[in-house]
Order: sequence, then C-alpha cells, then structure tokens
Amino acid sequence: MSIDSAVVLAAGEGQRLRPLTRNRPKPMLSAGTRPILGHVLDALIDAGLTDLHIVVGYNRSRVQNHFGSTYRNRRLTYHTQTKQLGTGHALQQAKEALSGSFVVVNGDELVDSTVVSDVRTAHIKTTAGTLAVRDSTQAAEFGAVRMQDDTVTEIIETPQTGEYRLLNRGVYALDHSIFSAIEATTDDGVIRLTDAIANLLERGETVRGVMSDDEWAAATFPWDLLGVTTYVLYQGDLTQPERRGGIYVHDSATVHADATLISPVAIDADAVIGAQATVGPDTAIGQNTTIKSGAVISDSLIESDVSIGANATIVDSVLAQGAQVGPGVTIPGGRSNVIVEETLYPDRQLGAVIADRTTIGGGTTIAPGTLIGPNAHIAAGSTVRTNVSAQSEVRN
Amino acid sequence: MCGIIGCIGHSRGTVETLLQGLSNLEYRGYDSAGIAVGGTSVVVRKQAGELANLRDDLDADPVTPGSFGIGHTRWSTHGPPSDRNAHPHTDTDGEVAVVHNGIIENYQQLRDDLQAQGITFSSETDSEVVPHLISQYRARGYAPEQAFQAAVEQLDGSYALAAVLKDVNAIFVARNDSPLVIGIGEEGYYVASDVPAFLEYTRDVMYLEDGETAVLRPTDLTVRNSEEIVEKDIQTVEWTAEETGKSGYEHFMRKEIDEQPQSLRQCLRGRFDQLAGKFTVEELTDVSDPQSVQFVACGTSYHAALYGASLLQAAGIPATASLASEYATSTPPTPPETLVVGVTQSGETADTLGALREADKRGARTLALTNVVGSTAARECDHVLYIRAGPEIGVAATKTFSSQLVALNFLIEQLVDRSKGKQVRDRIEALRVLPDQVQQVLDTSSAADVVEKYGSKESFFFIGRGLQYPVALEGALKFKEITYEHAEGFAAGELKHGPLALVTDKTPVFGIVTGDTAPAQKTLSNIKEVESRGAPVIIITDGKIEAERYADMALTIPEASIRTAPILANVQLQLVAYHTANALGRSIDKPRNLAKSVTVE
Repeated sequence: MSIDSAVVLAAGEGQRLRPLTRNRPKPMLSAGTRPILGHVLDALIDAGLTDLHIVVGYNRSRVQNHFGSTYRNRRLTYHTQTKQLGTGHALQQAKEALSGSFVVVNGDELVDSTVVSDVRTAHIKTTAGTLAVRDSTQAAEFGAVRMQDDTVTEIIETPQTGEYRLLNRGVYALDHSIFSAIEATTDDGVIRLTDAIANLLERGETVRGVMSDDEWAAATFPWDLLGVTTYVLYQGDLTQPERRGGIYVHDSATVHADATLISPVAIDADAVIGAQATVGPDTAIGQNTTIKSGAVISDSLIESDVSIGANATIVDSVLAQGAQVGPGVTIPGGRSNVIVEETLYPDRQLGAVIADRTTIGGGTTIAPGTLIGPNAHIAAGSTVRTNVSAQSEVRN
Repeated sequence: MCGIIGCIGHSRGTVETLLQGLSNLEYRGYDSAGIAVGGTSVVVRKQAGELANLRDDLDADPVTPGSFGIGHTRWSTHGPPSDRNAHPHTDTDGEVAVVHNGIIENYQQLRDDLQAQGITFSSETDSEVVPHLISQYRARGYAPEQAFQAAVEQLDGSYALAAVLKDVNAIFVARNDSPLVIGIGEEGYYVASDVPAFLEYTRDVMYLEDGETAVLRPTDLTVRNSEEIVEKDIQTVEWTAEETGKSGYEHFMRKEIDEQPQSLRQCLRGRFDQLAGKFTVEELTDVSDPQSVQFVACGTSYHAALYGASLLQAAGIPATASLASEYATSTPPTPPETLVVGVTQSGETADTLGALREADKRGARTLALTNVVGSTAARECDHVLYIRAGPEIGVAATKTFSSQLVALNFLIEQLVDRSKGKQVRDRIEALRVLPDQVQQVLDTSSAADVVEKYGSKESFFFIGRGLQYPVALEGALKFKEITYEHAEGFAAGELKHGPLALVTDKTPVFGIVTGDTAPAQKTLSNIKEVESRGAPVIIITDGKIEAERYADMALTIPEASIRTAPILANVQLQLVAYHTANALGRSIDKPRNLAKSVTVE
C-alpha cells in the first residue's frame, strides 16, 4: 500500500531569520509572492500525497489563518506543538492521527516534488524509514548522514568533526516505530527527529537513503530569501498569469502604462505600480503593495502591504509586510558584512532587510548589509549604517 | 433562527448527510435536533440539547438507512426545549413528518379546529399543526402534493417548511418570510435554510421566494407559485466548504477575528483606483443623492449603523440610526428623497426586513448593506452593497462588523465625498493600509494580559465619543454576548449624568481615546473621572494623546485615520471579550439563548 499521509513541520520560529520572524514562523516568510509553506504543500500534493498534516506552534494562527482547512481540495489537519522542543517532539504531536507509514518534511524549506515522490515510492514497509540525501560540501552545515550501499549507517544533526559529504535533505518516509524511538530519545528536553532516527539505527532498524539531485535553495539567513525568490521566479512557480515571458501579474494588480517591468518579475493581487517605476529583474511584489512613480526596484523581495515612495531606489533587499519607505530612499545594495544575532557573516550580497511595519523616512540612505526593525522608525533624511533593533527610533 | 436540511436522490448515507448538514447549521440554533428518514415508513428521531445527543442516540440505535430525509436544529420560540418539542413533528399515525422554521401566527386557531376534530397534539409547538393538516387532506383523498399545498395555504405567518410522507419518494418544501434554498447536486437535490448546510455537496443553488413551494424528487425538481410552475435561475455560490471549516482553531469566533485582514481585503478589492485617486464602487453608481438617510439595524449591525449615521451627519446630510424593531413599530416620517439603509449581516433579519418593508411602503428608497448574496434584503431593496466578509459562523459578529464599517465608508464616498484630490487620496490610503494595521493589532495585542488581570471583576464598562461611541457599545455587546457578565457601553460624556454611580474599584472601564483633537481631550477628562473613583482603567489608544498615565493598562493600535481608528479599536475589544469568555469556559461560538441570524420579529 502506498503512502497517503504527510506531516509538515511548521512549528519553529527560525531564529536565524530574525528580525523577519517576529510576527510569523519561518514557513510563512515569502518565496516569491507566496509563503514557503505553500510551495512545500504543492510539492506534497504533486507527489501524490492526499492526507496532509501540519504541526504548528510559534504564532500558529498565521499558518492556520492563511491556509484554512483545505488546500487544493486536500484536507489540512493541524496539530499544535505548545513548546518548541525539537522536530521529533513536533512530529509526536501528530502521532494519534497517523497510521501506517507517512512522509515528513520541513515546512520552511523548498523541496521538489520529485524528491518527495522518490522517497515515497522507495520506502519499503519492512524498513523503519527512508530519507533523501544529496552530495554536498555543505553537509556539515545542514545535517549529515553516512551510508553503506543504500543503507544509512549514521545520522547527525550538527557534525562537529569528521568528513561528511552526504547531506540530509530533510525529507523522510517513516514507519510508526519512529514514535517509540522519539519517546526513547531525551536530550535535555529537546527531541530532534534526527536523534530519534539515530536511535532507530542503534536498535538495529534499517533506514535507507535515496539520492536526490534536485536544485535546491535553502533559506537559512535573511539574504537567502532573495535566492529562494529568484529560484521560484526562474522555475515559473507562480500563481499569477504570465503576461509576457517571465512577467507575472495578478488580475487585480494595477501597472501604470508608463511603468517598466523587467523579467523575471511577479506582481501579486491589488498591488499598484506607478508611472515610470521600474520593477525587476529577480523581484517579487506582494499583495496590496504600492510602488510610487519613478521608484526603481531590482533583485528584491517586497512582501505584502508595503509602500515604496516616489523615486526610491531599492536593490538586493527584503522588505517585509507593511514596511513603509518614503520618497527618494536609497538602498544601493552590493556586498557587505552582515551581523545576525551577534554573529558576523562576511561578504554577503545584501542591501537591507526591513522587517514588518518599519517606517523609513524620505531621503534616507541605508548602507548595504543592514537589518532594521520590526516597527522601527527612521527619520527622514537619515543615514543608516548599522543594524536597528525593533521599535527603535533613528534620527541623525 | 432554526436550521433545516433535506436531501434526496444521492448515494451517500442519508442519515450521515443530514447530520453533517445539521452540524454545519448548528450555529443557527441548538437547543434540540432531529431527523426524519422517508420510505415505506417515516422514521423520526429527535433529542433535546446539542447535536451530539442526537448523534449518540443514532449511534446507539441506528435507523434503517433510507434514501431521503429531512432534519432540523431548533431554537425555542414556542415551548421549552425538550425531546417532545424538537422537530420533526408528525401526524397522529406517524406517516407525515415536517420540519419548520418561523412562526405560524394563526396556529392557535388551527390547533383548536384540529383538536375539535379529535386530534391529539403531542407538543406545545406551533409547527405541529402542519403535519396534522397534511394528514387531514390526505385522508380526504388529496394527492400528496395537493395535500401539502392545501395545508400551506392554511398558514399565516412566517415559515420555511420541509415535509416527507410515507410511501412518497419526495420532499415537499415551502417558503414564506423565512429563508429556504435548494441545492442542485451532481446527483440528487438538497434543501436547507442556509447554504453552508450542503456546501460539501454542491455550490449550485436556487433561492425560493416568498409564496413558492417546491417538490424535490430523486431526479427532478418542480417549483411552483400556487399553481403556476416557476422557472428559476441557478446561482453558483462562491463560498467554499473550506471557508466554513475551523482550520485548527478552538473557536470559529477566534478564527473570524484573525481572518479580518483577509475579509477586509476582499471588501476593499476593486473598490478604489489608487492611480486615479477615486472610489469605484460599482454597486453604488446608480444611487442618487438623498436629502436624508435613515439607517435601520439590530444588534452589532445597529452599531455599524450608528457609525454610518455619524459620518453622514459630519458631512452635512441629515442621518439617523434606528433599532429596526422600533422603526417598524413607530416609523418616523420619511421626507421625499429619503434613503433607508438596512444593515443586516444575513440579509434575513426579520426586524430589519420589517423596517425596510415599512419604509418601502412609505415610498422611501431602500438599500441593503449585507454579507449574503441573494438574501431577502438583497433581493427586496432598491440597491444593495455587499460587505464581502465571507461566511461568519460564530454567533458573535466580528469580521462582518469591520467589513460593515468599511462598506459604510464607500457609501459616504458615493453620497457625499465625490471630490478628487489629496483628501480622497488620503482616505484611499487609509483604507489600503487597514488590513495590515488590523494584522498589526492581532500580532501585538496584549488583550490576554488585560483579561488575566481584570477578567474576573463584577461589571465592565466601555466608553467612547464620536465615531468611537458605537465601538464602546459594540465592545460591551460582544462582551456580554459571550461572557454572560454584565457589561455596558456609554457615550463618554454621558457617564457623569448617571452611570458614574456604578463605577467602583470592582468595575473596570475600557476607555477608547484616539487622535489628539478636542473630543479626544474631553474623553480623556471622562477617563480621569473614573480613574479618580478608583476604577481600573484600560485605554485603547493610538498614543497620540498622553493618556497612558491615567490608565492601569493600555491596548495600543497603530495611528490611523479618524474613520478607520474605530475598526482597529474594535479588534482589541473583540479580543478582550474572546479571552474573557475563554477564561470563563463559555460556549463562545454558541452562546446561550442566542442565534446567529434572528429570523423572527
């Protein structure tokens, strides 16, 4: 019997994407004009799964409210993880609703339906689990496995030492025995799914690996959302009608006849692009966002309800929901060092990350690599060179 | 008020379909429920209390599955809730079963006549006369359809009826002043008092008009107006079953509070043109300028009406807001060129329909501001403006109130503010940013903390001035509806003329003060009055005026226009009511004694 059920883990905040996750969990950040989670659900449905479960936790109402009780005519069942005690603990919340084998994926990571499909069909009932792996130099960074032939011999979430070249893709088909392994795994209160799978291996259960070679765009840090958006745009994975090659515009959006759209670009519902504005390439504009006349926007992810003033220039940037950018604001973009949660990441391609509902006064210039907000206020005419924390005011 | 469902001619389990339909309709009334399955015998099962009681009863003792049937959830108007008073009702031999919504005004007369002929009644309801009447006509040799028609002709008052008869493979239905809609499935037909009952099975529907009857057979459907066969249009409803699901929320009310950003987007979509700087509300283009406007509404919709009247008055158009039941009873004069606006979420509120009909009789033009396409108000009024909030299941109105306020802005733009230029652009911008501002309130609200601190006090007062006065009334109504605790809303300036005597340290006062104009200063003075009497003060503020130091706690909203700030303040008060009711363990989606859409006067 083939697998019908899938569990999507969407309970975590995604702290490395702060300040964007203040009001939403990471799966609800945008990949193009839709939440990452929407693309994940598409992959599951395209892979033939029909019974979809979502484990929610951090700011769960944003997930439930967006997706409702069905998605593409498949019923969605929500399970709540009250405290974020790891991915294994998250999966456990769906235990009662599952029978037989099921697929497990992360809700905050794009995945190709072929990978899901490969794991689903490769899974044999007599084994405890099957997971997707790929060759990668980044294995140590994202979680690694060792294999012998097609059998997994070791799985480790954050390797400290040793050579690993196989990356755990985070796509699993699991048997109900995973739940006894989860229950047997206690690691200072946090139960990771990988630790539970390691426990299965210790018990002598068989876990198989399936090689995948899909293109892959992980969103770990705020600037990754730009890559993810570009990936989605080039895949054409958009819901708006394609007006010309690579130019996607929702029926309810308004684009002034004198505005210029450069492919690839997506404009979502109710958005308005003013006269002589230039939008694109590699840019997504969220619903109900307004771009005033003469603004120039490229290589950027602009979420919903944003307002961008006349003649503003925005490059390589993420503007989150409700950000208000005054006229003539300049975010020139380029490469720079970026500090996230007190760690410095050198030489990243990033203009600015403007979190939810931050206001940037007219004429302000923002140096590359700056993270601002949410709900911060930058006075008109400022120059911003360092990160600005939530709700603070900047005048200079 | 109550809910009706029927199904015929499909291959799913009849009992399960009826129960699912009743479950979808439970919000309309819930003190008892029952079903009748037709065939070579008519099997009736009914139980007082929630639908679960009926389900348990059927699980314990299943009925023989039939291929068609009718069902009902009841909310008492005649006779206390009991198994006996639950629908369906039957005739003496149990060969005719009927479910009924509405009130049969001449039931006493009919009952007396039937009793005089030796018929014994087994319930105290007005509805039970119907099966006995049908049975009598059958005994006199009428064919089933004629017997049903003849019985219906005896009835005065309001009714939506569905009947099944022994050995007759059909459902007979009739409508007068009480909503009834037929669903056309891929196989078979459905009938219900409201579309969500059968939304899982079909979205193609046919609305019956007053005075129409219909016969549903497994493969055909006939609608008549007395003798004449009527050809009816089939409409497709856009609501999906998905939209009526609970989506992992504990309560529909909370889901609907959280849904407001989306419902407001739907309400706003396509109704203004930012680049041209003008409003483009198609439904209103043929509404000519009135000399005066009278709003009629009930409950939460009345508070929206007060907001609308206040806006129009500020723009120089004489406007009043009346409680619909009072308006219908003592109707004010309607000078020439009066527009009467009925605000009703369901479009079926009997009191509001009564007031609109009274106004129509007096020659006024009428406009329905409603959420339900094809509802009675929408069909009967000269104009209709839809609020597009989507289905609302929680009995306590939340998202429909915010959409009503936004839609009233459109009405004001059409009737008064047809100017262009910066002011219009500013008003458009204020509405454009509203969905995200509501999202901001939802993301950041500390209503749960307020409730934790003050939720167990004795009485709760809500004060506001100007456009925030209706919000104070609505805040109090929402609070009493779902918490069952005592709450009152007052105009801020009125407090010192009496109600201040009620204020003590056991009565939290919620003061709404937004902006920094002279009225806001006055409200602040009123807040100081209650603060100095020792009342805990919770302010709802945008922070533009220095009010927080007179308050124990603050619920903040983003700075907004004078017209949209009330919508944001109201979201905070919705959350206060919700968290309080939740802490008290109340039945939030189905508060005692209340029903979603009140279709009796």
